[in-house]
Amino acid sequence: MSYIEIQCGDVLASVVFIIEGELQEIPQAAAIQSHLVTCAPCSAELEHERLMQQMLQDVLKRTCDEQAPEDLHQSIHRQLRAQMAGAGATEVVTQFSMTEISIEIDEFGNVEHREIQIEQTHIQHFIDDED
Amino acid sequence: MTSKDLVLESAADRTIRFERDALVFTNQLYAAALRYTKNPEDARDLVQDTYLKAFASFHQFEEGTNLRAWLYRVLTTTFINTYRKGQRQPQIANNELEDWQVAEAQSHTSDLGKSAEQEALENLPDSDIKRALHEIPEEFRIVVYLADVEGFSYKEIAEIVGAPAGTVMSRLHRGRKQLREKLASYAKELGYTTDAPASSQSKKKGGAE
Repeated sequence: MSYIEIQCGDVLASVVFIIEGELQEIPQAAAIQSHLVTCAPCSAELEHERLMQQMLQDVLKRTCDEQAPEDLHQSIHRQLRAQMAGAGATEVVTQFSMTEISIEIDEFGNVEHREIQIEQTHIQHFIDDED
Repeated sequence: MTSKDLVLESAADRTIRFERDALVFTNQLYAAALRYTKNPEDARDLVQDTYLKAFASFHQFEEGTNLRAWLYRVLTTTFINTYRKGQRQPQIANNELEDWQVAEAQSHTSDLGKSAEQEALENLPDSDIKRALHEIPEEFRIVVYLADVEGFSYKEIAEIVGAPAGTVMSRLHRGRKQLREKLASYAKELGYTTDAPASSQSKKKGGAE
């Protein structure tokens, strides 16, 4: 009896992992899985938790969708331009691309054709610190 | 053999690239900043600071990785380092539990408790949802917001807030729980839920007797 009680408590304490799909992250994952198969109250609880979580996410998403004021967009744009003009941070991207083609003809006249493509990108940053 | 293309990205090109890729998140970041700071003036400043900081270190951002997550990291660290200073926040770090053991032992919720919670979520106006979010501790509020509004995984959130994944999971669990408890108690105050036993059940602290 006490064994079952401990198991129920463990299962309920781990609900967040189950809901997040991360049950494998905890040591008793297998025991919890098999407990859920046989324990009706726990699986009902999990079902309730899933429903609540879905509802909670829906109301939070609906509620937290404020739009930034129009002048904030403009002000960010202005400040970025000012920062760009002030700090001379420069990035140099060098890209090399090389294609090696070889054609071999053996003594029987068979032609063997090979093409190797080599690409390389090098990015270097030069930051002029603002004073 | 051919060799070609010496591409030089000027400051102007980089600004254009940043504006094109990063500024599409302004509304989202503003909504998050409102929940973080709880007021429009600070939210404005926070979003602005976030973009200026992100732009200044844009060269460190690896193209092809998640720009949105990176911007949220800048937003969150800027908030924690700057806007939180001076405010006394409740300390929750000391009683963090073991990584996997995110919650105290719990007992099953009664059917009445379940329906009361459901009614609370169905009926409460947006203003109460915001109030509840603002009332839970900041560490909880941030992870709940990032997970449930923005849909980041808990591992992504760990990167964003700079905390171990286990700590994030614990905060997520407890934050959601507190949020639901608050919503259930508002619903009771406002008379949205059916009766007293249901509400008191949903508000219980979850200790297993």
